[in-house]
Amino acid sequence: MPSSNPLPPKENALFKRILKCYEHKQYKNGLKFAKQILSNPKYSEHGETLAMKGLTLNCLGRKEEAYDHVRRGLRNDLQSHVCWHVYGLLQRSDKKYDEAIKCYRNALKWDKDNIQILRDLSLLQIQMRDLDGYKDTRYQLFMLRPAQRASWIGFAISYHLLRDYEMALKILDTFRNSPMICYDYEHSELLLYQNMVIQESGESEQALKHLDKYSDQICDKITVKETYGKLRLELGQYSEAVEVYTDLLNLNPENTTYYARLAEAERHAGPEDTLRMLQRYEELFPRALAPRRLQLNYATGDQFKSLVDQYLRKGLHKGVPPLFVNLRSLYTDQQKVDTIQSLLLEYKDALKVHGHFSDQEKKNPREPASALLWTYYYLAQHYDYLGCTERALKEINAAIDHTPTLIELFVTKGRIYKHAGDVQEAYKWLDDAQGLDTADRYINSKCAKYMLRANLIKEAEETCGKFTREGVLAMENLNEMQCMWIQTEAARAYQRLGKYGEALKKCHEVDRHFSEIMEDQFDFHTYCMRKMTLRSYVGLLRLEDVLRSHPFYFKAAKCAIEVYLRLHDHPLPDPTQAQEIDTENLAPSELKKLRNKQRKQRRKAELERQQAAQAQEKREQHNKSRQQTDPDLEQPTLDELIPEKLERAEDPLEQAIKFLQPLQQLASNRIETHLMAFEIYFRKGRTLLMLQSIKRAHQLDANNPDLHACLVRFLQHTGASQLEGAVAEVVKRQTSGIFSNSDAVQLNANYLKMNNKSLPHLLQGARMLYLLDPSAQAKALSLITNIDGSEGVNLENCTRVLEALRNGDLGQCDSSISSYTAKCEKHFPYATAFRPPEPKSIVNHQDKENSIKN
Amino acid sequence: MSINIRCASTEDLLNIQHCNLQCLPENYQMKYYLYHALSWPQLSYVAEDEKGRIVGYVLAKMEEDCEDNPHGHITSLAVKRSHRRLGIAQKLMNQASRAMVECFGAKYVSLHVRRSNRAALNLYTSSLQFEVSEVEPKYYADGEDAYAMKRDLSSFYQEKNAAKEKVNKDGTPHMHTGRCCEHS
Repeated sequence: MPSSNPLPPKENALFKRILKCYEHKQYKNGLKFAKQILSNPKYSEHGETLAMKGLTLNCLGRKEEAYDHVRRGLRNDLQSHVCWHVYGLLQRSDKKYDEAIKCYRNALKWDKDNIQILRDLSLLQIQMRDLDGYKDTRYQLFMLRPAQRASWIGFAISYHLLRDYEMALKILDTFRNSPMICYDYEHSELLLYQNMVIQESGESEQALKHLDKYSDQICDKITVKETYGKLRLELGQYSEAVEVYTDLLNLNPENTTYYARLAEAERHAGPEDTLRMLQRYEELFPRALAPRRLQLNYATGDQFKSLVDQYLRKGLHKGVPPLFVNLRSLYTDQQKVDTIQSLLLEYKDALKVHGHFSDQEKKNPREPASALLWTYYYLAQHYDYLGCTERALKEINAAIDHTPTLIELFVTKGRIYKHAGDVQEAYKWLDDAQGLDTADRYINSKCAKYMLRANLIKEAEETCGKFTREGVLAMENLNEMQCMWIQTEAARAYQRLGKYGEALKKCHEVDRHFSEIMEDQFDFHTYCMRKMTLRSYVGLLRLEDVLRSHPFYFKAAKCAIEVYLRLHDHPLPDPTQAQEIDTENLAPSELKKLRNKQRKQRRKAELERQQAAQAQEKREQHNKSRQQTDPDLEQPTLDELIPEKLERAEDPLEQAIKFLQPLQQLASNRIETHLMAFEIYFRKGRTLLMLQSIKRAHQLDANNPDLHACLVRFLQHTGASQLEGAVAEVVKRQTSGIFSNSDAVQLNANYLKMNNKSLPHLLQGARMLYLLDPSAQAKALSLITNIDGSEGVNLENCTRVLEALRNGDLGQCDSSISSYTAKCEKHFPYATAFRPPEPKSIVNHQDKENSIKN
Repeated sequence: MSINIRCASTEDLLNIQHCNLQCLPENYQMKYYLYHALSWPQLSYVAEDEKGRIVGYVLAKMEEDCEDNPHGHITSLAVKRSHRRLGIAQKLMNQASRAMVECFGAKYVSLHVRRSNRAALNLYTSSLQFEVSEVEPKYYADGEDAYAMKRDLSSFYQEKNAAKEKVNKDGTPHMHTGRCCEHS
C-alpha cells in the first residue's frame, strides 16, 4: 500500500475493522474504531482513517462532517488510493458523477489494478455514457479477472455499445465456449442477446443461421419466432415467414402486428386479400376480437356496411361499453361514419317501436331492453366526436332517462360538456359519476382531472385523497408515486389561476421524476450482468438515453417555459414593497380589513410552513431509516421546491432554457419546441439562436401560423439592431430560403393575402399587423373578429383570438371584445369562455379564483 | 385498428405506470417496474389501442427462492374502465401464464385480490380457473383483507409438450445439451 503514513500493526488491525464495519453497515462500531486510532496523538491526522470516518459519517446522514473528514484525510495523504476512492464514493452518493470519476481516476494512479475501484469507475462511466472510457475499464477488468462471467459480459457489451459488433460477437462466442456455468434461462438470454448483436450488425443471414443453430436451446419461444419472422421477411423468404406468423397467431390471435406481418408475408395484392385472411382467422378464433375488428379497416362500401352491421349488433346486444371507443379510429373515413350513423338511427327507431334492430326481424325474439340504452350511448359519443353537442346531449339524456344509474353515461355527459367548453358543468357530472362508485379509481382519476380543468385544485386533491395513503397529504403521496399526469394538470390549473410559483413547483416535480428514473439505472448495470437479461438491459440504456422524449416531460416543460416567459415579461412585485404602498392610501376602515386579512394570511402561511416542516422531518426520518438499512439507497436531500422562491427566480429565461434543452435534443420533431426556443432567445436578444429556432421550425412546417409571428419579429429585430460582420453574413445567407421578402410589413401583407381564410393564420397576421403599425388596428381587428367566412372556426381557435384581444395584442379594443364574444356565444352556446362575467353576488370563492384567468 | 396485445418492453413502462396510477390504489415507483422488466422480460404484457396508448397491462414475476417448485406471481393487473368487457384482462393473464411455463417452468401462478373486489374475484375464479388458497388478513395498506389465489398451470404444460412433440415428429433435431429448454 503506497500510503505515505502506514499504521503500526495494532492500529492497522483497527483500520481493517473499520473497513469491515463499513461493509457490514455497522457504522456506529466503525466510528468507535476510528476514534481509537485517531485518539492516539501520533495518528490523529491519519489520512485514510479520517477518510473512512468521513465515509461512515456520510452513511449516518451527517453529510457536512463527512465532507470535512474526507477532505482533511485526503489533504493529509494525497497519494493514498483509499482517500481518493473514498472521496469518489462520497461524490457519487451526492450524484456528482463527473467529480467522482476524477477521484476514481486519481485513486487508480496510486493503485492501478484495484478491482473495486475499477468496478466503481466502470459503473459511473456507463451511467454517464462515457462509452470509450467504459470499454477501457471493462478491458482492464477482463484482463484482471478473466475467470468471472461479468468480466466477459461487460467486455462484450462495451464493444456492442460502440457498435464494434465483430469484436462483441467474438467475445460472446469465446465466452459461450468457455466452461463458465450459465443456467438454462441465462444461457437462453445470452443466445438471444448474441442474436440481437448480429441483427444490429446488419447481417440478417448470419442472424438466421445463428437462430437455426441455437433455437432449441432458447426457452423464450415467442422471441425466437418473432425474430424468425422479422428475419424471414427481411430476407424475402415469404413462405417460411407465413409459417412463422401462423404459429405466432395460434399462440396470440390478439396481436395486430402479427396480422400485418402475415399479410406482408402472404404478399397481398390488395385489401380484399387481407380481408379474406382475416375472415379465415375469425372462423379459426371465434372468440378473438382482433380479426373481426381489423376487417372493418379493410372493407368498404356494401361489404363494410354488412360487416359493421354485424359488429354493432353484437356489441349492442351484449352491451359492450367500449363499442364506440373501439370503432372511433374508423371515423377518418366520412363514408364509414355515414354508414355507421344511418345504421344506428335505424336501430334506434326499430328498438323503440318493437325491440328489434330492424323492421325485418319482427318475428325474432326481442333484443334485451339494454340494447336501446347502448344505442343511445353509442350515438351520444358519436355525435360528441363529430362536434354536434346538441344532438349528443339529447342522446345521452335519453340514455340516462332509460337507465339512471349507469356510471358510463355520466362520464360521457361530462365529456360532452368538456368538449363543448363548459368545464364547470363537465366536472359536476364526473363528480356524480364518482359518487356512484367510490371504489373505482379510474372514475376517481377522471373526476380529479375534470376538477383540475375547472381550476378546482383543492377539490381535486380531496378527491384523489380517497385513494392515497392515509396520514400523508394526497399531493405528497402522488408525488412519491411519480404520478405525473396529475402534477401536470395541476401545474396548468395553477398557471391559469396566476399562481405561478405553485405551477413551477409541479413542473419541477415532474422534471425530478425523470432525473430519478435516470438514477434508477444505476443498480441495473451490475444486476443485469448477473441475471443475463442483456437485451432488456441494452433496451434500458437506450430508453434512458431518450427518457425525456416522453410526452409527460414535454407537457411539463412547455408549461414551465410558458410560466417563466410570463414571469420575465411581467415580473412579480416585491411582496414587502407592494404592501407598504397599499397602506398609505387606504381609509382607516379598509386598513383594518387589510390588516385582518394579512394576519389571517400570516397565520395560514405559518400553519402551512409547520405542516411542510413536519412533512419534511418525516421524509428525512424515512430517508434516514432507509439509509441505515441500505447505504445504496441513500438519497441526497434535494432542495425543497418553494413556490415563492420559484416565481421570483432571478433569471427566469435561464430557468426556461433548462427545460428547453432536453426538448431541443429529444423533441426536435415538434414545432412547438422551436417556437418556444425562439420566444426565449428573442427576449435574450440572441440573433443566431433565434435564427436557428426559426430555421428548424420552418423545416417542420413552413406555413405554421405561430412561426409567422416569429418571422416578423425576427425581421423587426434584425432591421433594428444593425447587424455587422459575420453575424450579418450568416443571417443573410441562412434566411434566403425562409423569407420571401425581407421587409416585415411586406412579408406580413403577403402572408395575410395568402392565408385570408384561415382563422389561426389571420390571428397571427393581425397581431403582427398591429405590432408593425398600430394605426392599422381597425383593419387588424376586423380580420379576426369577423369569423363567419373563415376556416378553422373552432372552440380552440376562437378562444385564442379572445385571449389575444384581452391580452392587448391588438391594443385597447373593449367594444370589439364585446361584439366578438357575443358572436362566439352564438357559435358555441355551451362554452363558458364567451359568456359575460357572472354578476358578483353569486360568485363563490372558487369562481373568483377562476376569474383571475380572464 | 383494434386492441393489440403484446409482450411489454422497457419503453412501455412509463405508460404502464400511468395506467396503474389511473386504475388501481396500489402504486409503485418506476424502479419496481424496471425490476420486473429486467428480471423477467417475457412475463409482462400490455394491451394498447390504435394510438399506442396502454389500456391494460399485466405485470408479472417469478417468485424467487423456490427452485424446486417454481411459480409465478401477478404483481398487478389492470384494464381501464373505458375498455372493460372486451375480455382483455383474461387474454393478458393467459399470455403471461403461458410465458411463465415456457421460460421458467412455472407450475402455478399466484396473486392477491381485495376481498371487496367482486368483479376481479369473479374474473379470476370463473374465467381463469383461480382458486382461493388462503385469506391474508389486513394485507392491503388500508387494512383490507386479501384473498391469496392460485391457478394451476399444468394445462399450459401440455401445450408446451405438445408443441415440442410436434417438433420432434417433424424431424427437427432436438439435442439435449444440458442447457436446453426443459427445466424440470
